Amino acid sequence: MTRITLTSHQLAVIEADPTSKLFLAGPAGAGKSTVGVERLKYLLASGISGDSILILAPQRTLQEPYLEIIQSPERSAGGEATPATVGGLARRMVDLFWPLAAEEAGFAHPDRPPVFLTLETAQYHMAHIVRPLLDQGYFESVTIDRNRLYSQILDNLNKSAAVGFSFTEIGSRLDSAWVGDPGQRRIYTDAQDCATRFREFCLQNNLLDFSLQLEIFLNHLWPNPLVRDYLVKTYSHLIYDNVEEDVPRAHDLMREWLPQLDSALLIYDEAAGYRRFLGADIDTAFALRELCDEQRRFDESFVMSEGIAYLADSLADAIFPIPSPLSAERAKEQGIRESTLSIITSPFYPELLDSIISQIEHLINKDRISASDIVILAPYLSDALRFAITSRLEARGIPWRTHRPSRSLHDEPASQTLLTLAALAHPHWNVRPSKFDVAYALKLALDMDLVRAQLLAEIIYRTKDFTLSSFDEINPEKQERITFNFGNRYSTLRDWILNYREESPLPLDHFLRRFFGEILSQPGFGFHRNLDAARVAASLIESVRKFRLAMEPSFVNLDHPDFDFGREYIAMLQDGVIAAQYLESWKTENEESVLVAPAYTFLMMNRPVTVQFWLDVGSSGWYERLDQPLTHTQVLSREWPIGRPWTFADEEQTNQQTMARLVSGLLHRCREKLYLGISNLGESGFEQRGELLRAFQRVLQEGTTDERG
Amino acid sequence: MTFTPRPSQTEILKYTGGTLGISAVPGSGKTHTLSALAAQIISSGQLERDQEVLIVTLVNSAVDNFSARIGEFIQARGLIPQLGYRVRTLHGLAHDIVRENPPLVGLDKKFSIVDETASSSMIADAARAWVQTHPDFLDQYISPSLDDYQTRRVRDKDWPDLIESIASSFIRSAKDRRLTPDKLRFALYRQPAPLLLANMGLDVYSDYQRALAYRGAVDFDDLIRLAYEMLNTSDELLERLRYRWPFILEDEAQDSSQLQEDILRLLSGESPSPNGRGAGNWVRVGDPNQAIFETFTTADPRLLKQFRESADQSLDLPNSGRSQQSIINLANYLIDWTMTEHPIPEARDALSPPYIQPTPKGDPQPNPPDDPSGIKLLSNKYNPDQEIEAVVKSIENWIPDHKDSTIAVLTSTNDHAARVAEELKKHKIEYRELLRSTSPTRAAAGALSYVLGYLAAPDSASKLAQAYKVWRRDWREDEEHEPLVEQVTSLIRKFKNVEEYLAPLIPSSPNPFQGIKGEGIGEDKTDEIIAELNSFREVVLRWHGATVLPIDQLILTLSQDIFTSPTDLALAHKLALVLRQVADENPQWRLPELTPSLHEIARNERRFVGFSSDDAGFNPSDYKGIVVVSTVHKAKGLEWDRVYLMSVNNYDYPSNQPNDRFISERWFVRDSLNLEAEALAQLTAAISTSEYDYYEEGSATRRARLDYVRERLRLFFVGITRARKELIVTWNTGRRGDATPSLPFAALMGWWEKHL
Repeated sequence: MTRITLTSHQLAVIEADPTSKLFLAGPAGAGKSTVGVERLKYLLASGISGDSILILAPQRTLQEPYLEIIQSPERSAGGEATPATVGGLARRMVDLFWPLAAEEAGFAHPDRPPVFLTLETAQYHMAHIVRPLLDQGYFESVTIDRNRLYSQILDNLNKSAAVGFSFTEIGSRLDSAWVGDPGQRRIYTDAQDCATRFREFCLQNNLLDFSLQLEIFLNHLWPNPLVRDYLVKTYSHLIYDNVEEDVPRAHDLMREWLPQLDSALLIYDEAAGYRRFLGADIDTAFALRELCDEQRRFDESFVMSEGIAYLADSLADAIFPIPSPLSAERAKEQGIRESTLSIITSPFYPELLDSIISQIEHLINKDRISASDIVILAPYLSDALRFAITSRLEARGIPWRTHRPSRSLHDEPASQTLLTLAALAHPHWNVRPSKFDVAYALKLALDMDLVRAQLLAEIIYRTKDFTLSSFDEINPEKQERITFNFGNRYSTLRDWILNYREESPLPLDHFLRRFFGEILSQPGFGFHRNLDAARVAASLIESVRKFRLAMEPSFVNLDHPDFDFGREYIAMLQDGVIAAQYLESWKTENEESVLVAPAYTFLMMNRPVTVQFWLDVGSSGWYERLDQPLTHTQVLSREWPIGRPWTFADEEQTNQQTMARLVSGLLHRCREKLYLGISNLGESGFEQRGELLRAFQRVLQEGTTDERG
Repeated sequence: MTFTPRPSQTEILKYTGGTLGISAVPGSGKTHTLSALAAQIISSGQLERDQEVLIVTLVNSAVDNFSARIGEFIQARGLIPQLGYRVRTLHGLAHDIVRENPPLVGLDKKFSIVDETASSSMIADAARAWVQTHPDFLDQYISPSLDDYQTRRVRDKDWPDLIESIASSFIRSAKDRRLTPDKLRFALYRQPAPLLLANMGLDVYSDYQRALAYRGAVDFDDLIRLAYEMLNTSDELLERLRYRWPFILEDEAQDSSQLQEDILRLLSGESPSPNGRGAGNWVRVGDPNQAIFETFTTADPRLLKQFRESADQSLDLPNSGRSQQSIINLANYLIDWTMTEHPIPEARDALSPPYIQPTPKGDPQPNPPDDPSGIKLLSNKYNPDQEIEAVVKSIENWIPDHKDSTIAVLTSTNDHAARVAEELKKHKIEYRELLRSTSPTRAAAGALSYVLGYLAAPDSASKLAQAYKVWRRDWREDEEHEPLVEQVTSLIRKFKNVEEYLAPLIPSSPNPFQGIKGEGIGEDKTDEIIAELNSFREVVLRWHGATVLPIDQLILTLSQDIFTSPTDLALAHKLALVLRQVADENPQWRLPELTPSLHEIARNERRFVGFSSDDAGFNPSDYKGIVVVSTVHKAKGLEWDRVYLMSVNNYDYPSNQPNDRFISERWFVRDSLNLEAEALAQLTAAISTSEYDYYEEGSATRRARLDYVRERLRLFFVGITRARKELIVTWNTGRRGDATPSLPFAALMGWWEKHL
C-alpha cells in the first residue's frame, strides 16, 4: 500500500484526543475517509483495545477501507474492531436478547427461536400472501411486474421502521400525498393491507424481516437497560463513516448513544445522500453534529483536476439554471477544455461501444493509464449491455470487472444442469424438464459435445413419465454414433439416479452435495475439471441450504404436509421470486481492471478514478425515482408533512436534486477526464433526450459562445 | 440541399404562428414543404434553448425522412442538426408523454409495451374463451337459412373468428373513447335494454386488460389513451410540454383520430391555458381525398375538414408534378362526378377540392408531357383469371422496351396481388411484391433466426447448411466466392451425421472430412473447401459453447459473427433485449420456443425502432423494369410510370346499389348485419347521454355501407393518382360471375369517351 502524505488538517483529526467527539464534514474527495481509517490505526496504536471500537457505516461496501485494516495481518493485538451496519447490529442484538423482546413485540411463539428473513425469503413469503389477493382484484389498476410489487410492499415496511413511523400508517401517508387519478388511490389501501397481513404472518411464525429486526432492536431492546448496558460497556469508541447515507432511526440511536461513548468520529459527505431511496436522511445525519464536541470541515478536493472541478460547477449551474458568481468568474478564466470533456458519438449503440473500447485501449496502451483508473458507468446496466461491453474488453485483452454485485444462479448452465438432473431424480415433484434441457444437462454433466448430447437425450428421455432408458436398449447404429465412451458415462449417471429414486428423498441441498460428490466431480464427468462449474455448484448448494433453513421453521409451524423445499425452490427460482444471486467473487479479484458498473454502485464503492466514461447520457435513469408506484421515498420520509400533496413540481425538483447530487458525486471521484458516449439511438432503439443531456448541451453552448465571441 | 419553393409552397413558408390547415393533392411535396417550414422556424431564432418543433407523422419511415430532411435544411444554414426538433409518430409521441411520469396513470416506471402480435393473440385467447362459455350467443345472430352442416362449420370456425375481430375493433374503439372496462360496465349497467354485442365486447375487453396488467404491460392504444389522461390530469405536465413544443406540425392529418386531435389540441394550447403558454401554433397538412383504411380504424378524414374550417388560416398545395395532364384530368373529374353526380347523396362528400394542378412553368418538378393515349379504361368483361392473364400479357409486351421505366400492378386485396404475382412468375417476368420487400429489420432477424434455429436442433444437417449460408451472407453477391459457398452448402446438407464433422473422435487426420458418411462426401475435396469447412467448424463450436448463455448474450455473441454493418449490430442488440424480456416472461421457454418469436418481434418492434436509416420504406425508382405488385392501400405515397389498376368492379368498389354486396356483412349472419358496425353502434349508444342516440339494429350496418362506399371512392382516387404517364384500369366479373364495373369507373369511361 502506498504511503499517503497527510495534511495538517487531517492529522489534527486523526490524532485528536481519544476522549473527543468529532463531526467531520466535507465534499467527496477531500480525504475524510482516509482520516477515518488513519484514526482507527491511531486508536489501535495508542493502545485502545480493538474490541472496544465500533466501525459503523450504512452499507458494507462503504466499510471496505476499514476492513483492510481490521483484517490486515499487522493489526495490533487486543481483539478486533467490530465493523457493522445498524441493521446488522440490530440482528445480532435480537438474536442475542430474543427472550427479552419476543413476547412484548407480539410474537406468537416467544419460546421458539426467531427466524431471520433475507430479502429473498421475505419476498417469498410476501408472494405467498399477496398472490391470492391479486386474484381477488387487489392492485388491479396498477401495471407492475409481480416481483417488483412484492418488493415495494416490503420496502414500505422497511421505510416505516427506518424512518420511525408505525407500519399501519403506510397507506394513509401515501394516499394523502396523491394528486393523480383518484381511481389510483385504492392501491394504497391494498398496499397497506398486504403489509399488515405480512406483519401478522411474521408475528405468528416468528419470522423477522428487516423491518421487524430494526423495530425490535430500537423499540424493545435498546430501551431495555440490560441491552443498553451491554452495548455501552462493549463499545467505547465509534467511527461512523457516511452518516449521511444512513436512516433516521439509526441517527436517533446515535443521539442517545453518543453521550455515553468515550470518543467518536462521525464523517459526513456534504453532497451525498445517494441512498435516499433506501430511506437515508441527510438532515437527521447533519443534526448529529450538535452532539459532538467539535466540528471540522475539509473543503479542498484531492481528486479533481481544475478542469473537472470547473466542469462540475458548470454542470451544476446547467442543472439549476441560477447564475452563480463563482462559476461565472471561473468561466472567464477557462472554458471546458478537450482535456476535461470529450464526447464520443455514433449513430448506433454497438458502434459507440466499439469506439469507447478503442479509446480505452488507447488510454491504457498509449497514455499509460492504469486499467483500474478507468470506469465505464451507466445509470442502469442491462445484462446485454454489460455483456456487450465486457466481451469487447475481453476481445482486446483488457482486464475488466463488473460490480453489478451479483448474478442469478438461474442463468448459470452449471446450476441449470444440476436442477434438471435433480428434477429427473425426483419424479414426484412433477417438474418436467424439456428434452432440450436434458440435452444440455447431459452435455455438461457427461462432458460431451452438443450434437451427441442432443441425440442421446432424444433417444433415452421421455418427458411424459420421466423415463430414462438404458444405453444398451438403443439401436447399435445410434450407439455407435453416440459412442460407447459417452454411453458408459451415461449408464453410470442413470444407475445412480434410478437407485436414488428407490430411496427416500433427501433434502435438495443434501441431494446435490451427494450427486456432485459421487458422480459429477468424478473423472470423466463434466464438473471434474471445470472449476467454475464446481464453484457455481457450491453456491447453489449453499443457496438451497439457506432457503431450507429459513423456510423450515415457518413451515414446521404451518400445516403443509406435502411441502417439498426442493420443488418449491425450483419453482420460486423460475418465477423470479427468489433471484438466488451470488457473488462471482473469483471474477472480481483482479483490482487492476476496468470497472463496468451502474453509476450508484460506483459511488457506493467510494473510490476515485482518473477517467470516467458515461453511457446513456440521455437516459432518464440519471434522476428518476425507481420506487414507484407503490411506495415513495420522499413522502415516507421524516421531513414530509403528513397530508401535503406530492406535486409535479416536487417531482421535478427532486429529480433535479437527485441528478445534481449524482453527477457531482461522480465528478468528485474523477481526477482528470470525462468521456460522454452518445449514440443517436439508445440501446433499445429509442432516441434519448433526458435532462442530463440537455444540461450538457447548455454547458457546451455556453462554452462555444465564448469561443466565437 | 437546395429547395426552391413554388408559389403555393412559399405561401406556407410565410407562416409565423396560429392554426393553419393545409389540403395537399397527391404528389404536391408536402413532406418537403413541412420540413422546410420546420427548419425555418428553428433557424429563425424563435425557439428557446429547451424548445423544439414537434412534428407528428404517421409511420416510422416518415419519421426518418423528416429527421433527415430537416437535418439537411438546418445544417445548410450553418446550425447544429439534431437540435430543436422532434419527429414522432403518434405512438412515439404518446410514449414520450407517458414516460414523463408513468405512475400518474398507474404504470410502473418500467412498464412494457406489448406489440400488435402479442396483443391480438391475447385478444384472440380472451374472445375464444368467451365463445366457449357463451355457446348460445350465436343463436341470436345466425342466419336461419343455414343448414346443419353450415351451422356446424360456422360454429367451429367463422363465428369465433368473427367474435375475435368484433372484439378487437370494440376494444380499440373503447380505448379511443377513453373508456376503461369499469366505466363501460357502469354505462352498460344503466341501459334500459341489454346491448348484447356491447356486453360481449366488455367481457373480452375486461379479460384482455387483466392479461395486460398481469404482464405489467400496455398496448399501443393504451399508450395513446394514457397520454391523453396524463395531459388532462396534470396541468403541470401540460404546461411543461407546451413550453417544450411551441410549434406543432402534423403530417397525414387526414388519418388523424379524434384522440390524436385531442392530444395535439391540448399540447398546442389552442384551448386557453392558465399562464398563457401554448400559443396555439399548430399546422396540419393532409389530403382528405387520400384517407383510406385497410382495417378498422378510429381515424376520420372529416376531422381535418372541420379543422380547416375553423383554423386561423387555410391553404392549399394544389400543384403536383407527378402525373401527366390527362391523368390529372381524370382524377379531377372523379372529384367532380362524386360531388355532383354520385347517385347516393350521402357519398358526395367523399372527395373534395382542391383539384390537382400541374406545376407552374420552370418548376424543378415538371409534369410528364400530356398524352391522352397513355390512359386505357378497359370495358372488357373478363372473369378474374382472364383479367390477370390480360394484364400479364400486356406487361409482357411492354417490359422489353421499357427497362428504364417503373411499373406497378395495383389490386384491392392481398390475395389478388398474390395471384397476379403467381402469374407473373409463370411468365418469368421479374416482379417484386411490395409486402414482401425485405426490410433490414426482417433480414437481420431472419439471419439470426436461422442460426438460432440450427442451435435448437444441432444435429440437423440442413439447418447447419442454412446457418452456414447466413454466416457467409456477405459472400452471396460476390462472384468469386459464390461457387464455394454453394459447394460447401450442398456438402454440409449431405452430411449424414453432423457430429462426425463437428466433433470428430479422431480430430487430427489430414483430411478430417474423409470419413464422413453421406452421399458423395468421401470424394476428394479441394484445399479451399477443407479450409472453409474448418473455419466454419470453429465458428459453430463457439456457437455451441454460447448456447448455455442467457438468450440476450447468445444473440450478441452470434451477431458478432454474422453481422458487420452497424445497423445490423444495433438491431441485434435491440432484438437481444426484447428476446430477453420474452424469455423472462416465459421462464420455461428455450431456443425452440424463442426462435419463432424473433420474426414477429422484428415486425412489430419496427413501430418504435428507428434503426431504419436504410429502412425508410420503399423506393419505386430502385425497381426499374421490375413489376411491383401491391394493393392500392400499400401504394399510398408512391408513384410509377405505368400503373395497372385491377378489379374495379362493384364488389371491390361498391356504390350502395341494390345489387352490391359488402365484405363486412357475413354470409352466415342474419339480415345482412354488419356485426362489427353494430357492436360499435352499441358502444356509442351506451355512452351517449342524448336520447336520440338509442340503439336500433341495422342502422349501423347501413351507415357502415356508406362509409365503405366513401372509402372506396377515395381508394379509386388514390389508385389513379399513382400513375405518372400511363394508367390502365380493368375490371372482372368476380367470383360469382355477376359483378359489374363499379359505378365511378363506368362514369369515368363514359366521360373519357366523350372527352376524346
